[in-house]
Amino acid sequence: MATLGARSISMDLDHTYRKPTPLSVARSRLMVGVILFMTAFVLMSVRTINLGMAAPLANRTAERQIVVPPVVFSRSDIVDRNGEVLAVNLQTSSLYANPQKVKDPALVAEQLAGILPELSRAELEQKLSSKKNFIWIKRKLTPRQKWQINALGVPALNFRAEEDRLYPHGRLAAHALGYVDIDGNGLAGVEHYFDERLSEAARTSEPLALALDIRVQYALADELEAAMRAHQAIGAAGLVMDVRTGEVLALVSMPDFDPNNVRGVGDAQKFNRASKGVYELGSTFKTFTFANALDDRVATLDDGYDATKPLKISRFLIRDDHPKKRYLSLPEIFAFSSNIGTAQLALDIGGERQQEFMQSIGLLTPSSVELTEVGAPMYPANWRKVSTMTISYGHGIAVSPLQLATGISAIVNGGTLNSATLLKNKDAWQDGQRVISPATSRQMRQLLRLAVTKGTGGRSDATGYRVGGKTGTAEKASGGGYAKKSLISSFMGVYPMDDPQYAVFALLDEPKGTKETFGFAGGGWVAAPVVKNVILRTAPLLGVLPREEDKGLYQNIALMIEDD
Amino acid sequence: MRRLFTCIAALCALTSGAALIQLKYAVQEQAENVEAIARQIHQDQESLRILEAEWAYLTSPRTLQELSIEFLALMPPSSKQVVGSVTEIPLRRSREVVGGDTSVLLSTADKKSQKNKQKNKQPSANSAGGKQATSEGNT
Repeated sequence: MATLGARSISMDLDHTYRKPTPLSVARSRLMVGVILFMTAFVLMSVRTINLGMAAPLANRTAERQIVVPPVVFSRSDIVDRNGEVLAVNLQTSSLYANPQKVKDPALVAEQLAGILPELSRAELEQKLSSKKNFIWIKRKLTPRQKWQINALGVPALNFRAEEDRLYPHGRLAAHALGYVDIDGNGLAGVEHYFDERLSEAARTSEPLALALDIRVQYALADELEAAMRAHQAIGAAGLVMDVRTGEVLALVSMPDFDPNNVRGVGDAQKFNRASKGVYELGSTFKTFTFANALDDRVATLDDGYDATKPLKISRFLIRDDHPKKRYLSLPEIFAFSSNIGTAQLALDIGGERQQEFMQSIGLLTPSSVELTEVGAPMYPANWRKVSTMTISYGHGIAVSPLQLATGISAIVNGGTLNSATLLKNKDAWQDGQRVISPATSRQMRQLLRLAVTKGTGGRSDATGYRVGGKTGTAEKASGGGYAKKSLISSFMGVYPMDDPQYAVFALLDEPKGTKETFGFAGGGWVAAPVVKNVILRTAPLLGVLPREEDKGLYQNIALMIEDD
Repeated sequence: MRRLFTCIAALCALTSGAALIQLKYAVQEQAENVEAIARQIHQDQESLRILEAEWAYLTSPRTLQELSIEFLALMPPSSKQVVGSVTEIPLRRSREVVGGDTSVLLSTADKKSQKNKQKNKQPSANSAGGKQATSEGNT
């Protein structure tokens, strides 16, 4: 700058024009360059200072940020209500080979057969000596097998990463979960019902939360299995339901299967007795008849019916399993499970109204639970007088255990019907539909509790948990008649009766009496203890406190039941 | 003077150039580190899934029950073992149970063994005594 100033001043001072010397021309040209460079340097330093002073730009750094690649898998996990993993997709390896690169097929075949005992050596050798350049040897190896094969060091053997669906709890909850085929398509249970949702690419990282509680599921499965073994039953079913929301906490069907390996599993094991099986459930149906009668004010608890002798209607004879041969009050009819009394009560209700009530409580339509294996109830197309009488105590109508539990839940929870659901949904009670009045529900709770303390369900009384419930024993229909020896014995329990929270149902298919049960195989003998044990095991898990019972709640009705 | 200036400028240019290269490599190394960590996180997430499944398998109620039967003497809980509220917890026995002698100052373990002895002698009287102690409060 200074030189430039000096030069212009000197030019101003001598007023005469002189031809510039080559040196001054070079100098002035050089000056232009210098000025340009200096401007550039000044600009750069200003910019540098500017950058140094400025706050760091957040969005500029974001571009450079390194993103952790998310773990992608093709199917959502399934978890229980507490987040316990029930089904999960894991990476596995499948083994393939390029037979053209195999030098000694016999040796390789022998080595492989040693690691994979389910493959035959001869077949492997034949495969490995073929002219192809790709053959599958085994899909979905265990990590151990993969390691062993890697250790062989045969260059012709290679792995391809695949996904495998794993059920860590094995047989537990197999019927509710269902299973998938080798390509991961749901074929049964929740896997099938929610197949689209589970394989939706955008939602695979979001697990599907079921209403099941794996601990409750195990308690029920374990007890049912033990009872099945003790009584040599051919099958069993059971479920635990939250009576306020209809959430199914446990769903058991025996015999069961391992969803990790469904090859060779027969239809008998795959059959879901709790939702697809429909059974004539016997006396548990009296609960519905009584609720219906009390709610319609057809009868009050002070009424009663004559049960001195069997009831004859056309060619049928209605008998009592525990005959008292006297006049019985309504609470006695319920507690002692009198068919004669209940049938007369049903006649007073009337067939049409009975059908309407059964419809309203969901016993005549298939359950809307989230399973594809749902059985349709069976009942007479022509609802005659005799049907009215037999249906009142649970014969001539076959429903699934799930329907029964849903109906009973509605009776005890204050009178609102919530459809059974396998999805965790604490707010499901809001969709409830009123089917009976809260007052009737209270009366039914008293009756159910007394059926346990004074009636046929005594062996379900888990100390401290105020269990209420109804036994059910029905002969299996066979060839137009009933088979005397093969029974369906069940028990429907609800606890605690002063504030109903959970319904527990247990059913045994064709149980045999044992020495402990004095040869009896009815619901009160074989199924009630299952319910009792399940309650004792699960109530602490579910947060139900044992308490001294307030006897006053049941006193007025208890007085009407006369033991003899 | 001019020469000195040139030297200093050259030196500056050299050092800043060297520093820049140094920085570039350092940044590259850090970027590689970050990438490696990201890969590691991804792998860990994958193994976490496997481990979660394994955990679920190993803690499946059936497995736990088998182990419990093998190693522990646990039974399903009876309703007597469940304490519903604080008021249901029996209060610790006060002095009169120990009897006012020097053993009051015994360690808790010794007191316990003494209590057990008494319990074995007179179970019914003892429980009645416990109730009294409750009403009198823990002094």
